[in-house]
Amino acid sequence: MFERFTQDGRNSVILAQEESRRLRHGFIGPEHLLLGLAATTAGAAGEALAAAGLQISDLRLRVAAKDAEPDEPLDAEALATLGIDLDVVRRTTEAAFGPGALDRRRGMPRGHLPFAPDAKKSLELALREAVRLKSREIASGHVLLGILRAGDNTAVRVLADAGTDIQQLREDVIRRLSPAA
Amino acid sequence: MNEGVQLAEAASGQDPGNGLRAVRALRDLTERLETLQVDNARAHGWSWQEIAVFLGVSKQAVHKKHARRGRR
Repeated sequence: MFERFTQDGRNSVILAQEESRRLRHGFIGPEHLLLGLAATTAGAAGEALAAAGLQISDLRLRVAAKDAEPDEPLDAEALATLGIDLDVVRRTTEAAFGPGALDRRRGMPRGHLPFAPDAKKSLELALREAVRLKSREIASGHVLLGILRAGDNTAVRVLADAGTDIQQLREDVIRRLSPAA
Repeated sequence: MNEGVQLAEAASGQDPGNGLRAVRALRDLTERLETLQVDNARAHGWSWQEIAVFLGVSKQAVHKKHARRGRR
């Protein structure tokens, strides 16, 4: 899938995986691709994001806040009022699925993290942007354009919340992608 | 102890706070169990369609909710 990526395009995806791991999200979404792009300072995307005043530290906080899923303990007391003994439920699930099955966070896959459907969509659109801009390879800039083109995803929402002018960012990336005049 | 009566009392009880808290606790528990069971079904090679039939929801709904977690 990534054979057509330039070095900075590839780096941004590798870094996206690291960003997801850092947040313990277990999947690569458009928001992690965005963080990967921001971390790839050498590419057109990283340059454009920096020029738009977007700091990776700030973006990380925003992504973490967007995706935060509070992992609260189950309310044993309230369940008891319904006649449900949480300890019994816990015992039966642990018997089937192992210790802590009912209480552990969503599993953290080892190895490669899977791409979420909307991240795949962004990468497909990145390819289309590359074709449209007559590039034979997919660079970080095309990945950013793909994310932006996808419209409603967490990455775009994070950028909008940060006060980014999406249209202006898009134009800036395209300018940086074109061979120096 | 009749659990059905207890459930009806708490879930439709006079005190909204107690009732709502009970409903939420039940929903949280249901979500955890659903996650475990869907992951287990996938690990056993079940299709999203099969899982959806058993959960009584559409294939799209179950896929949208659970596919993102990724396959292990």
